[in-house]
Amino acid sequence: MKFASSAKFAAVVVTAALALTACGGGNSSSGGSAGPVDGKGKKLSVLTGVNNQYSAQQKQWFTDIAAKFKAQTGADIEFETFASANDELTRIQTSVVSGQGPDVYSLGTTFTPTAYATKAFVTLTDDDWKKIGGKDKFNPAALGISGPDAQHQAGIPFVSRPFVMAYNKDILKAAGIDKPATSWDELAAQAKKMTNPATGTFGLATGYKDNFDPWKFIWAMSVQAGNPLVDGKTLKLDDPAVKKAYQTYFGWLTTDKIVDPASIGWSNSNAVAAFASGKAGYLMMTTSSSLPTLDKSAVAGKYAYTAMPTTAPGQTSPQGDAANAASILSGDNVVVADYSKQKDLAFAYINLITSKDEQLNFQKIFGDLPANAEALKALNNPALQPVADTAAKSKATPFTGAWGDIQLALLNVVVQSIPDLSKGSVDDSSLEARLKDAQSKGQASLDRASK
Amino acid sequence: MSTDSLTAGKSTRRKSSRASKPDPQSPDDTSRRRKGLSERNRPLWMLIPGGLLMVIIIVVPLLLGIFMSGLDLDQYSLRQWVSAPFIGVQNFVEALTASPLLHAIWLSVSYSLIAMVVTIPLGIAGAVATQNAFKGRAVIRSIFLIPYVLPSFVVATVWRTMFQPGSVIDSMLHSVGIDPGLWLNGPQSYWTLILVQIWASWPFVYLLALSGLQSVDHEVHEASALDGALWWNKLRYVVFPYLKGPLSLAFLIGMLHHINNFTLPFVLFGVPAPSDVELLPILTYVTSFQSFRFGLSAAMAFISLILIAIPLFVYLRAVKLDDAETPGGKK
Repeated sequence: MKFASSAKFAAVVVTAALALTACGGGNSSSGGSAGPVDGKGKKLSVLTGVNNQYSAQQKQWFTDIAAKFKAQTGADIEFETFASANDELTRIQTSVVSGQGPDVYSLGTTFTPTAYATKAFVTLTDDDWKKIGGKDKFNPAALGISGPDAQHQAGIPFVSRPFVMAYNKDILKAAGIDKPATSWDELAAQAKKMTNPATGTFGLATGYKDNFDPWKFIWAMSVQAGNPLVDGKTLKLDDPAVKKAYQTYFGWLTTDKIVDPASIGWSNSNAVAAFASGKAGYLMMTTSSSLPTLDKSAVAGKYAYTAMPTTAPGQTSPQGDAANAASILSGDNVVVADYSKQKDLAFAYINLITSKDEQLNFQKIFGDLPANAEALKALNNPALQPVADTAAKSKATPFTGAWGDIQLALLNVVVQSIPDLSKGSVDDSSLEARLKDAQSKGQASLDRASK
Repeated sequence: MSTDSLTAGKSTRRKSSRASKPDPQSPDDTSRRRKGLSERNRPLWMLIPGGLLMVIIIVVPLLLGIFMSGLDLDQYSLRQWVSAPFIGVQNFVEALTASPLLHAIWLSVSYSLIAMVVTIPLGIAGAVATQNAFKGRAVIRSIFLIPYVLPSFVVATVWRTMFQPGSVIDSMLHSVGIDPGLWLNGPQSYWTLILVQIWASWPFVYLLALSGLQSVDHEVHEASALDGALWWNKLRYVVFPYLKGPLSLAFLIGMLHHINNFTLPFVLFGVPAPSDVELLPILTYVTSFQSFRFGLSAAMAFISLILIAIPLFVYLRAVKLDDAETPGGKK
C-alpha cells in the first residue's frame, strides 16, 4: 500500500518534470547571432494545422521542406501541428503570455485579425517584405486580410482557399438547365427544378449545423446587397439586408424546400457526402480541397466548380462591388512571432514555402491554391480555373479583433433558429429578436476593439 | 488589493476555527493520542514535495484566476496581461447581470440533480441484481461497466451520431409511429443531455453501491433470515443503511462531476450551444476562448467555484467524510 502510493507520487513527479521540460523545449534552441540566413546549429519552430485528409502526405511534405531548408540555411525545422482552431488558440495564448514558443505560426485568414489584435506578431517593414521576396510576389487579393491597412500587415499569404460551389452536370442537364446560376434567386429557382424528394434528390446540399458555413452565406448576401456588416465603429446586423439574407438562407429549407430536411443536423462534410453520392444538384460553400474526395466518388467526371452567385437576393444584377464578393477571402496566412529570436531565419523559411515551385507543389498535393501570383497564373488544371478566378474575386471580412465575436453572433442566430427550422418556419419576430441580440453582443465587442 | 483581503480573510477564518475547535474536539483528541500514535513525531516534512506540487498546480493557478477576475483582460491586453486595467468587481457584476450566467447555473444544477436522482436507483438496482452469484454474473458486471470505461468524448460522439435528424433513433421511433422532433437543439436537447449523462454515469453509482453491498456482513443476512424478514424488508431495513455512506459519496462526486462536465455537452451540441443547454462550463469556455474575455470568464469560473464549494463544504461537515477517524455512519 505504502509502496503503491509512493510509486504513484513518483509517477506524478516524473510526469510533471517531463511536462516542464516539454514546455521549455521550444526555446532551448535559440541563441547565437550569426549572419541573416546562416542558421547552422539553429532550429526553427513552426506551428501549423494538422491535415487529417492527407496526413501521410503532410508528414512527407514536412520532411521534404525541412531538407530543402537545411540545404539553404543549414538550420533545422521542427514542425508542430495543432488539431483544431481551439488548439491553436491555446498555443497562441500561452506563447503570447509567456513570450516563448513557435517562431512561425500558420493562421486561418478570418483568425488573422484576432491574432493581429494581440500585437504578438511582427508587422512587416519594407525590409522584411524584401526578405521574403517582395510584396509583388503575392496575389494582390490574397493580401487583403494581412493587416488593417497596406502599411500594417502581419499575415503573409500562404495559400488561398476561396469558397465556390460545385454542380452536378447530369442533374442540371436533366432539369433543362444549361448554365449554373449567377444570382441567389436564380439559384433557388434552378434548385426547385432539380428537387425530387421521391428520389431523395435535392437542388442544394449545405449543412445548417456547420460551425462556419452559415455566417459565410449571410456575409456574402449582405455584402452583395451593399452592407459590409462593419462600418467603422458600427455593426450593422439590424439592417434589412441581413434579415433578407437570413430569410433567403432559411427559406431554402422552409419555403423553397430545395435542401434535404436532414441538413439541419449536417455539417459541411455531410453535404459533401450527399453531393458525392449524386443526390444534389449544387454543393454550396466548398473549396478546391473537396476535389480529391469528389474525384473518387460517384460523381467523378460529372461535376464542375463555379463561383457562387454574386447578385444579392431580390436583385437582378450585381450592385456596386458585389461582383467582387464571390467568396470571403479565405486560406492560410503565416505570421512571425514578435518574441522570436531568429526572425531572419523565419523569413527565409517563409521565402522558401511561398516560392513559385513550392507553391505549385503544395497545390498538387493538398489542393489549396497558391498565394504566389506567378504560381497562380501557372496553374493548368482546367477544373480549378473557376476556383482560381474566384480567388481574385474574394473580399476580405472586416479586419477587426471583434470579428471572432461577430462571426459567433451570426452563427448563433442560425443555431438558435434550428428548432424553428425543423418545425418548418422561422417567424419574423423571433428572427428579429435574435438579430437584435446578435447586434448588441457584436456591437459590444466592436466597442471594445475600438477602445 | 484582492490578495491582501483574501489572506486577511483566511487568517481570521483560521483564528475562528482555532478558537472554536478545542472544546468539542478535545476528548476526541485525547482518545486518539491514547491510541499510541505520537502526533508530535509524525514525519510531516515528508509532505513537502507533495505539498509543493499542490501549491504549484492548484493554489497558484487559483490565485492567478482570482486575480484575473479583477482585470479587464481580453485579446488586446493579453500580451501585457499583468498590467491590464484593474476593474475591481465589474467582471462579477457583468457576469451576474449582463450575461446568461444565472441561466447557465440553473441549467447545470438542475440537470445534474435530475441525472443523479435517476442514476441512484438504477445503480442500486444493478448492484442488488448482481449481488448474488449466478451463471454469467461476471459478464453482466463487465457489460454494466462499459459506459463507465468509455471516454466521455467517445460516448458523446456516438450519441450525437445516433441523435442526428433522420438517424438511427429517429428512424426507430418513426417505425413505431412517433415523431420525436429534434434531439440536439431546442427544448428537448436538455433532456437529451440528461439521458446521455444517465447512460454514461450510472455505472459509477452501481460500483459504489456494489462496494456498499459487499460490506454487509454475512451474519447480518443470516440474522435477518432467522428473524423471517422478507426480501423487501431485508433490503429496506438491513441492506440500505449500509449503502448510505457510499451512496452519499456517489451523490456528491456525481453532482460535482456533472456540474463540471464540459466534454459531454461540448461534443453533443457544439458551440455556440443551443440556449437550452448553455451550461456553466460551456459558457465559461465560450467567454474565454471564443470571445476572448478572459477576465469576465475568470469571474464566471470563480462564481462556479463558490457554487460548488458551498454544498461540498456543508456536505463534508454533515457526513464527516473529511474526518478519516470517524467513518461516516457505517458499521
